[in-house]
Amino acid sequence: MSSDVVSTKRMKQQSLGPYGAVGKALGELDDRIGVAKGGSSFLNKIFPDHWSFMLGEIALYSFIVLLVTGVFLSLYYIPSQAIVTYHGSYLPLDGQHVTQAYASTVDLSFAVRAGLLMRQMHHWATNIFVGAIVIHMARVFFTGAFRKPRELNWTIGSALLILAIVNGFLGYSLPDDLVSGTGIRIAYSILLSIPLVGSYLGFLVFGGNFPGTAVIPRFYILHILIVPGIIIALVSVHMFLLYRQKHTQFPGRGRTEKNVVGSPMFPVFMAKTTGYLFIIGGVTALLGAFAQINPIWQFGPYDASRIGYAVQPDWYMGFLDGALRIWPSWSFHSFGYTIPFEVFIPAIILPGLIFNLIFVWPALERRFTKDHETHNLLDRPSYRPKRTAAGVAVLAFVSVLFLASSTDVIANFFHLPLSAVIWAMRILTIVTPFVAYPLTYKICLELQTTKGGGKRKTPNMVSRTAEGEYVATPAPVYVDDQHDELAPAEVPKFITAATPESDGDGVRTIDR
Amino acid sequence: MSEVHEQRTPVVLSGLSEDDPHLQPAAKNPQLVERVIALNFLLGIVLVAGFGASYWVNAKSWILGATMGGGLLFIGVGVVAWGKYLMPKGPFVEDRHPHTSPQVDRDAFAAAIVERGGNVIKRRKMLGGLLGGGLGIFSVVAIFPLLRSLGPLPKGTLFHTDWRSGSYAVDQTGRRIQVGDLAVGSIVTVFPEGTQDTDRGQAVDQTVLIRISNQNFTTQKGRETWAPLGYVAYSKMCTHLGCPVGLYEQQLQLLVCPCHQSMFNVTNGAIPQFGPAPRPLPQLPLFIDPQGYIRAQSDYHEAVGPGFWERP
Amino acid sequence: MTATFLKRLGALTFVAIFGFGPVVLFAASANASGGTASKQTPYQTSRSNAGTPNSDNVVKNSKGVIISYGNGAITYNAPSSALAALGKALFLQNCASCHGTGANGVPANGTNGAFPNLVGLGPATIDFWIESGRMPAADPRSVQAPRREARLNHDQAIAIAAWVNSLSPAFPSIPTVNLKGANVADGAALFALNCAACHTIEGDGDALAMNTYAPSLRHIPATQVAEAIRTGPGNMPRFTGNLSDYQVRDLVKFVTTEIQHPQNPGGFGLGGLGPVAEGFVGLALGVGILALFGFWIGERQ
Repeated sequence: MSSDVVSTKRMKQQSLGPYGAVGKALGELDDRIGVAKGGSSFLNKIFPDHWSFMLGEIALYSFIVLLVTGVFLSLYYIPSQAIVTYHGSYLPLDGQHVTQAYASTVDLSFAVRAGLLMRQMHHWATNIFVGAIVIHMARVFFTGAFRKPRELNWTIGSALLILAIVNGFLGYSLPDDLVSGTGIRIAYSILLSIPLVGSYLGFLVFGGNFPGTAVIPRFYILHILIVPGIIIALVSVHMFLLYRQKHTQFPGRGRTEKNVVGSPMFPVFMAKTTGYLFIIGGVTALLGAFAQINPIWQFGPYDASRIGYAVQPDWYMGFLDGALRIWPSWSFHSFGYTIPFEVFIPAIILPGLIFNLIFVWPALERRFTKDHETHNLLDRPSYRPKRTAAGVAVLAFVSVLFLASSTDVIANFFHLPLSAVIWAMRILTIVTPFVAYPLTYKICLELQTTKGGGKRKTPNMVSRTAEGEYVATPAPVYVDDQHDELAPAEVPKFITAATPESDGDGVRTIDR
Repeated sequence: MSEVHEQRTPVVLSGLSEDDPHLQPAAKNPQLVERVIALNFLLGIVLVAGFGASYWVNAKSWILGATMGGGLLFIGVGVVAWGKYLMPKGPFVEDRHPHTSPQVDRDAFAAAIVERGGNVIKRRKMLGGLLGGGLGIFSVVAIFPLLRSLGPLPKGTLFHTDWRSGSYAVDQTGRRIQVGDLAVGSIVTVFPEGTQDTDRGQAVDQTVLIRISNQNFTTQKGRETWAPLGYVAYSKMCTHLGCPVGLYEQQLQLLVCPCHQSMFNVTNGAIPQFGPAPRPLPQLPLFIDPQGYIRAQSDYHEAVGPGFWERP
Repeated sequence: MTATFLKRLGALTFVAIFGFGPVVLFAASANASGGTASKQTPYQTSRSNAGTPNSDNVVKNSKGVIISYGNGAITYNAPSSALAALGKALFLQNCASCHGTGANGVPANGTNGAFPNLVGLGPATIDFWIESGRMPAADPRSVQAPRREARLNHDQAIAIAAWVNSLSPAFPSIPTVNLKGANVADGAALFALNCAACHTIEGDGDALAMNTYAPSLRHIPATQVAEAIRTGPGNMPRFTGNLSDYQVRDLVKFVTTEIQHPQNPGGFGLGGLGPVAEGFVGLALGVGILALFGFWIGERQ
């Protein structure tokens, strides 16, 4: 009977409750795990919207791209140094004896469908990943977001930077080509340079003298399993801490130390962040399509007696290469022992000092400013001139080291003698931080004293009176500032239909 | 069916009405924005489908990447625009609650560890000590398999190459070098015969053979016999970090390491003139046998390659 | 057996031993050094098929002068001596101001000849320097003459080479490379072992010590590749007995195909600068564009 059908439907609707099937499903889940309160709080979580808070997402989503493309690559790459004869479509290698690692990477590039795209996406995503981490760290540093209660997150982030760099090195060494193989040789010599245990460490890590047959398989396991595992664990803790402590925010209208103003997780933030994930994937794919990266078939297989000139590591290792190029030859040997300081200092001690400084910075700043308060509001960088100047000085120092890894390119481009460029780099390394610090300090002070310095200025509307006098009045705010006119509102637990009886706040009593 | 009214007490719950300004889209013209987003999604769908088609026909890499990249980009831009322009513009606020727990809870937490733990240990000090010792020793020996099984001990491996007294110098194809082969200003990479195809040969034994003169040449005192008829041989492994020093400038008579530009003077025993290398390249003593082959008098007189602790 | 007969026999024996002997010995050693009646050249090698007349095919003219030699991979042709007169005129016009009217050069203060002595260097050397545009030098005082558009054409270069060679014939002669049968894979391996250390693995060249540099290989024609390898111009080492003509042919094939026309299936080659360029693009284009998107997505307060 039709009336029976209609009433059955109504009965079903009634038994489902006012939120339909979704409500019923959530109810079943809540019966078992009790997700209602936590789930609501998750969906209501507020994320501040400033654009500089998006930089960490670039790192996170390029990591996702790395994982996805990496899985594809791992299905075809063979981590073995056994010698095979290459027979494939790339003729300049045809008949050459190469390692299986190299041959499988060349096959990935030429014989596997979409293999070259995936390889290039993977490599570009790495460059973007490390770059985004650095920029994100700089933002966190210059706005003081590492202060209490977020020191632990800063430590985790610093560790993630080191792990990302290490994993990148391991990854681009896997194809065993001439360029990256030279890097592995240098890594072995750096291990050797460690006093007392150097030769033991080198032999243990490489399974014998260089090159051996163990290093590529070991790098592979480190690169796809151990280091990504640690990274995933640390990123999860990083995200959890962010979730629990809530994101910091810039001071502004309606924003205090005790609240967070922005968009709720669902639906606005999820939309923006998911869209960003797609954008990052898209840009990486476009780079992988149009910009060739790491053309290992042109480099040829690694052979310990061969080398190419102008060989550099990937950009994020450039500071090590630069330091090694400009460091003077200060070897120390006596009593039958050698400490190769010309390697040990630039390759081990110097990066160790830099990363240690990064790790302990929150504690250092606490000691100098004697500030043990909780901070959820961010600083504008120009309002903390000492910190900003120190950060710029360290960044400048590291940038000179990066520049120093291209001494031959600079000498070639500007037609300068190589030794002159190297001496210039040596002097620049020492001088630049001492110039950068006071310069930045002064600029910060300038920005502070300038009215509205660092903030967007409101324009003035100039009008002329009938007498000919010019009068300046603040102009109306920009069109896209208009949504700032609203005072922040609580995330609504329920959205009700518009009725004339609802009061201004929207609070009503509801019958249930 | 009669509807059942359940009597419940009314509660106050926060809510916003649909026409509240916070819930309105941020865009001035939501209709237009919706159309633009729809266009983005459409383009994205076409491009992503295009990726599928390109993959099916095994198109070139750049086509695969352009379709996938463009598709993802358009879809992403559409989703972001939806969130930014069409969804409730807010802003919304939530309170931060200090994480600090009430003092009584903190005390209870600390007490649970200190008092309960102390209670246990105080009475059983010896057990605690023994357990601590056992765990300590275990944590040390647990590292052994992770480290020591990784590889052999170096012992004397780094001090010797495969060059022996009488080794023939061969090029990478295995051909023995003869005295008439090289002209002045020529350079060739040589290995002891039999090792040119091995990893160890290429890595450790690699040697550059340069002809710097037509006469016997002396690089340093005590090496008068080492460079017969101008053939001088140096280890190709740079003493800085082990890169092969293959770059020879014949008029400057400099061997330059391509990695970090150390420059070695081949006429005086490869003493570094500039750059980070700390030591000269070891020189291999040569002789020419009656058949005219270039051979080594002995192994290198010192360890080749970069420095390490045990190197004197 | 008259005394006269014995005297004549003794005289004949005397002439045989002391007359022909040295001629035979001299001819033998001359063959080893690569030519009849030539002084020892800097390019001597006793290995056969390595750029000297110690080769599979040697062609001599009626006077016994070697006019070409070589094998299936490379043929070396001596410039025709008929061009020597033209060559002398051209030399006096273009080269004598630095290298002297007798091509003897001007040694400069103990260094290795700022304006070098060209006598006995062989036609391949002369031809290489002129046809690559390096000579006549734009700036005679610069450390290293760069490749430019040649001011003298091919025939003029050969003529000058003919005249200089006539002063003291030497080798190697002008090579003509036959690329048929060249193995580009062997060429790639040889390039990595012998050439990449200065010219970079992609062949772009770079700065070396003391204001010298290894030039780019992107625009060099096949003949000049062979000439440069065999003669070692400037600071470049010369590859004589350590590379056979077949190996040089493989190298020429590799340079003129893979180096000069790289396949680049992955997209734009980024100038062959390697990780430096990739880092720039990754940071500026990659992170930069993504940060711009972030600027759009987020607020600007």
